[in-house]
Amino acid sequence: MIIDINFIGLIIASIMASAVPLILASCGELITERSGVLNLGVEGMMIIGAISGFALMTVTGSLIIAIFGAMLAGVLISTIFAFLTQTLITNHVATGLALTIFGIGISAMIGKNFVGIPGKEFPVLFEALKDTMPLLGPILFGHSIVFYFAFALPFITSYFLKKTKIGLIVRAVGDSPESASNQGINVRLVRYACILYGGAMSGLAGAYLSMIYTPQWIENMTGGRGWIALALVVFSTWNPIKILIGAMIFGGLTIIQFHMQAIGVRIPVQFLTALPYIVTIIVLVVISRDSRKIRLSTPSSLGKSFHKDN
Amino acid sequence: MNTNLKISNVTKIYPGCVANDNVSLEFNSGKIYALLGENGAGKSTLVKILSGVIIPDEGKIYLNENNLKLNSPSDAKKNDIGMVFQHFNLFETLSVFENLIIDSDEQRESLREKIDTIMKKYNFSIDLDIPVLNLSAGQKQKVEIIRCLIRSPKVLIMDEPTSVLTEQETSELFLSLKKFSEEGILIIYITHKLKEVMQLCDEVAVMRRGKLVSVSEIKNENIESLANKMVGQNLKIIKKKKAKTSSDQLIKITNLNFTSEDPFETNLMDINFSVNRGECLGIAGISGNGQSELFQVLSGEIISEKNSIEFNNNYIGDLSPQERRGYLMAFSPEDRLEQAAIPQMKIFENVALNNFKSSNFFNNGLINENKIKEHSKKIISDFNVNTDNIELKSQFLSGGNLQKLIIGRELITSPDLLICFNPTWGLDVGAINYIHETLIRINEQNKSIILISTDTDELLKLSDKISVIHKGKLSKIMNAEEVTSEKLGILMGGAN
Repeated sequence: MIIDINFIGLIIASIMASAVPLILASCGELITERSGVLNLGVEGMMIIGAISGFALMTVTGSLIIAIFGAMLAGVLISTIFAFLTQTLITNHVATGLALTIFGIGISAMIGKNFVGIPGKEFPVLFEALKDTMPLLGPILFGHSIVFYFAFALPFITSYFLKKTKIGLIVRAVGDSPESASNQGINVRLVRYACILYGGAMSGLAGAYLSMIYTPQWIENMTGGRGWIALALVVFSTWNPIKILIGAMIFGGLTIIQFHMQAIGVRIPVQFLTALPYIVTIIVLVVISRDSRKIRLSTPSSLGKSFHKDN
Repeated sequence: MNTNLKISNVTKIYPGCVANDNVSLEFNSGKIYALLGENGAGKSTLVKILSGVIIPDEGKIYLNENNLKLNSPSDAKKNDIGMVFQHFNLFETLSVFENLIIDSDEQRESLREKIDTIMKKYNFSIDLDIPVLNLSAGQKQKVEIIRCLIRSPKVLIMDEPTSVLTEQETSELFLSLKKFSEEGILIIYITHKLKEVMQLCDEVAVMRRGKLVSVSEIKNENIESLANKMVGQNLKIIKKKKAKTSSDQLIKITNLNFTSEDPFETNLMDINFSVNRGECLGIAGISGNGQSELFQVLSGEIISEKNSIEFNNNYIGDLSPQERRGYLMAFSPEDRLEQAAIPQMKIFENVALNNFKSSNFFNNGLINENKIKEHSKKIISDFNVNTDNIELKSQFLSGGNLQKLIIGRELITSPDLLICFNPTWGLDVGAINYIHETLIRINEQNKSIILISTDTDELLKLSDKISVIHKGKLSKIMNAEEVTSEKLGILMGGAN
């Protein structure tokens, strides 16, 4: 059998494409969690982003409005979460779960009218360069702007947290909201901002699914990707670069097991489907075993409500 | 330049408690001021008002005649008031430098230079690039101090700064504070430790129950006069009567060994001692020399060989704490909130905890709440616990009240032997006095005590016999009259 080198390039590109929503949602959730807030509503925010993006695209015909609208929708729904957990001091876990259930429900309701409508083609960049190089051509060129943004995001996130003052403040709030507050940092404001940012990224991840990856609306189309994104954040020990690695492994195994099923490998389908979940977690656990580093990057106040009293 | 800080008629009321009742005070730079008071006297509230963390209900603050509006910690910083909190306000997972730059507007390089200058000047040596969680308590405190010094404060407030420090670190801190004072920084030092006030300060203000009781110069005061002002009554000087020598042996430890798998624990080697009825055996030592292991072995948290502990003619080395209680032993562990009581549970529930077997408290697996509550009320009144609400969660009791509750809980079953570990750790004078009186009373009732403590004064006051533990070994047992604190100090250091 002759394997076309460009075919391998295409497989790698498809793996990367399937990793995009995971990277976007994880990097957003990472910032939220680094400020000490555990938002389990990622799946809900993603699906809201997916339906909002698709609906706006169909109704307005504008891709730009659709993409930013999806992010805005993510922001809006995460505002509910922020108001509940930060202003009314509700429990993070329960509120996040409620957010997911709410998101899935309302997206199905809005989405009724959009089932079966074909999506639009999303413009890709550097299409012409795709054939100039074997292997690397299909990997590097001919993708949407969101794709490039997603692969830059872990590095931007890492730089933001390590090198900028605002990043430092986010980490400080996650480490000890009491100390931060005594230092004159407005903990609630920082946490609000981080939650809304996480919402925007989840919304974008959802829009990528319904507008670019598989341009159509199917009920419950996020299919648990929000939960995987959450798991990636934890198992990467809040390290954006490891999120990138984890998302690639997950995406890779998902694509490869499809191909394995297609060529009829004699392994039970259920096992193949479960494979990406298992392997991703094992790999991330193995590469994140330094307990000192875990201690240093784990936000100590994660999931704990902070209430300032005078 | 001279700094003058004036607190004028400050009042802060919490539901059910007046934390500061019309307090007025004046401070001038060049002096070190002590703000003295028992736990809950309102001194922490007052300094939190000065640092903008708490907003007072009434009253004004003036710095050099300017009325300050302190609505947030950043307001205090802007007005050159720096504060080092009792519980450090540091970000453990961030590096020292990140902790310092976070509330500074300066560029990285110029800030680093500034920090280096400060560290050189005051002889601090701290690696700026390691995370704070790797620092010792003393170093963390220095980081807090540097954080204040960066802003060249006019006022520096220290809230109970020595509670987490070793002796060595404490004397280093005092040297630095004196230096700051000479340089014109006004220093306000909050504490309930009388010795420190005498050592360090020039003037002392005493607070009690939210009110300012007195302001005076240190040279006109001594430890007794300050203690009396702080507690509000003349403290009885407690002295133990010489016990009748009894030869009735109650507990005997023979060749007790304990080898730990945890490298941070101390192994116990060849422990031998005995305690007679009506006697108090004190065990002195610098903390971390095997005291906590010894306590656990004696209480049954760690099981040892059956024959190594003989109590009242029974071999009990392999019994659990609950079973040992059945033989009339009682225990008061060191950490009140972690080991002795469950902070989130109510007082009466905590009372029931060491008495699972009592048929009074439990019937066929059901809780007999009325009986427990009755019993709890008796403990509260017998042992002077300052609350009448047995439904209160234990975490809201002050340290002294909680300790009284714990000792009361143990003693109300009238045990033959009480084993206690640092029973007055972190308590204020009044509570310490009460606990000491209680312990003496136990001995007078011909019951015995094993007192493991790091406080030498306490041991000399209460013990009939004293031994010193060093690196898991006990020294020979001495009669308390023959021992001086110097001698104990030498033994605690490991010399013979």
